[in-house]
Amino acid sequence: MNRLDYLVLIATILAIPLYGLWRTRGSASLGQYLKGDASIRWATIGLSVLATQAGPITFLSMPGQAYESGIGFIQNYFGQPLALIVVCAVFVPIYQRLKVYTAYQYLGERFDQKTRLLGAFLFLVQRGIAAGITIYAPAIVLSALLGWRLNLTIWLAGGLVIVYTVVGGTKIVSITQRYQMIVILIGMAIAFAVAVYRLAPDLSFEHTLSVAGKMGKLEAVDLSIDPHKRYTFWSGLIGGFFLALSYFGADQSQVQRYLAGGSLKESRLGLLFNAAVKVPMQFFILLLGAIVFMFYQFEKPPVYFNQPAYQRAVESSYGPQLTALQTQFDDVFTQKRAAIRSLADASTTERGAAMTKVQELDAQAHELRNQTKGILAQAGVDPKSKESDYVFITFILQQMPHGLVGLLIAVILCATMSATSAILNALGSTTAIDFYQPLIRPNASDHHYVVAAKALTAAWGLIAIAVASFASLVENLLEAGNILGSVFYGSMLGLFLAGFFIRRVTGSAVFFAALVAQTLVFVLFATTNIGYLWYNFIGCAAVLILAPVLQQTIFRSKDAPAGV
Amino acid sequence: MNVGDDNPDARSWRKAYGLALSLFAVEVVLLYLFTIRFS
Repeated sequence: MNRLDYLVLIATILAIPLYGLWRTRGSASLGQYLKGDASIRWATIGLSVLATQAGPITFLSMPGQAYESGIGFIQNYFGQPLALIVVCAVFVPIYQRLKVYTAYQYLGERFDQKTRLLGAFLFLVQRGIAAGITIYAPAIVLSALLGWRLNLTIWLAGGLVIVYTVVGGTKIVSITQRYQMIVILIGMAIAFAVAVYRLAPDLSFEHTLSVAGKMGKLEAVDLSIDPHKRYTFWSGLIGGFFLALSYFGADQSQVQRYLAGGSLKESRLGLLFNAAVKVPMQFFILLLGAIVFMFYQFEKPPVYFNQPAYQRAVESSYGPQLTALQTQFDDVFTQKRAAIRSLADASTTERGAAMTKVQELDAQAHELRNQTKGILAQAGVDPKSKESDYVFITFILQQMPHGLVGLLIAVILCATMSATSAILNALGSTTAIDFYQPLIRPNASDHHYVVAAKALTAAWGLIAIAVASFASLVENLLEAGNILGSVFYGSMLGLFLAGFFIRRVTGSAVFFAALVAQTLVFVLFATTNIGYLWYNFIGCAAVLILAPVLQQTIFRSKDAPAGV
Repeated sequence: MNVGDDNPDARSWRKAYGLALSLFAVEVVLLYLFTIRFS
């Protein structure tokens, strides 16, 4: 990165929050602080919902995921449009009618206080950790490649977000997310165009895609019904539906986004905008990863993308082994590049044999990379992050022109700030409205609750920074967020669906059903190897089956209230 | 207002949901065709 990059980076990440602070200057009532005001329209809501979900992990990890394993991850989003339609038709009208600040207030109205607190508690635990991961994810990668100090990166990104989220509340989150998402979309579109432009000129784009497909990178839809496969059409449609339904319907970080503005029409249009654009957007981000993969079939890639970690290992006693593997990798790369180039001139009959040779060489290269990773693990370097998270950022730093590098680093930091601000805003609001107000100060003034919400938002920001400072990830960044969500979301969604659709069930039955369901998911998570999306379905189904059973047996004597 | 309501506003929202659903179906079919073409 040169001065131009730093100028673009700093200007981009500072200008948007400063504009937001200017737009939200002056004092706000509790309603304005927690729900924004009527000036927020569907486009802002739509972009805000999109930005909250995307986060830095989407832009850092997803192209790397496609580089490593292909674009099959797109199927995880297949349940989302359906879930968004259900949220529009069922959840939003109820929240709007009850004029709630948080989704968990609904649980209190429909069931009882303990069920409300359980829903809010599940949200706080899950999102409190997720906020830390959201800040940590880009910080670990950027600090490794750019030489920035990890804790300084965490504090700078996190500190800026805390300041503007605390000051401006929901309105500033919506306004800044709108412009941050515009920067992100423009940045990613430019990155896509540059990546396509940098592809080898001796193969047409269609040929390039054909080769990528034959190398297993373009299988977008897999109709297999094997439950152990992580990404299939069915797990995406069913598990993804329940994940998205709980995320958009019961996670306050999203509910607060579409309740901003206060109009049913604007909320629904913002969500339908997401239903329309989410799958295509994720497809292009994944395809970008596949294109980067094809770029590195002609331009020699590093054998290991986290180069600083690799260099540390080379300088250790493992150096000779790594050098030998590097030599073999270079040789296989040269053969593979020649084999791919020969595909362009091959006749139809020769193409099958030529493609088989490319696949064999690719398998050899893959094996050599795995051996290298194994040695790095033995050497004890880079234990905290997955190598594929470094693929896209390496491509940006090495192949993009100056200025654009700064813009794309800004894209990653904008994504970090937008997702984190939404989460902190929701954590602060939920703690203030669902815990502080009913349990500690029930009858204080609006102004008191605004101050409390600000203090709690700041406190959650500091907790997120603490989590980020001590985080050590077990899977790659993209997976960590989704797995964490899937473990908690099923039972949380079950609480809401029981409230909406099972009329004769009381708070106690639902409360204990959710506790049992959550325990069941923890046990399955610890003891089995089921694709994690299924936990959403299992947790939710367990609550919906157990609650009526408990109602008819243990809690039979209690009168069941009518549904809200 | 629920999805089952029969007033004009509810009918127009049902049309909007149908449109979103159709768009999603088209997206999945295109992705499937993309998979067949390039895998």
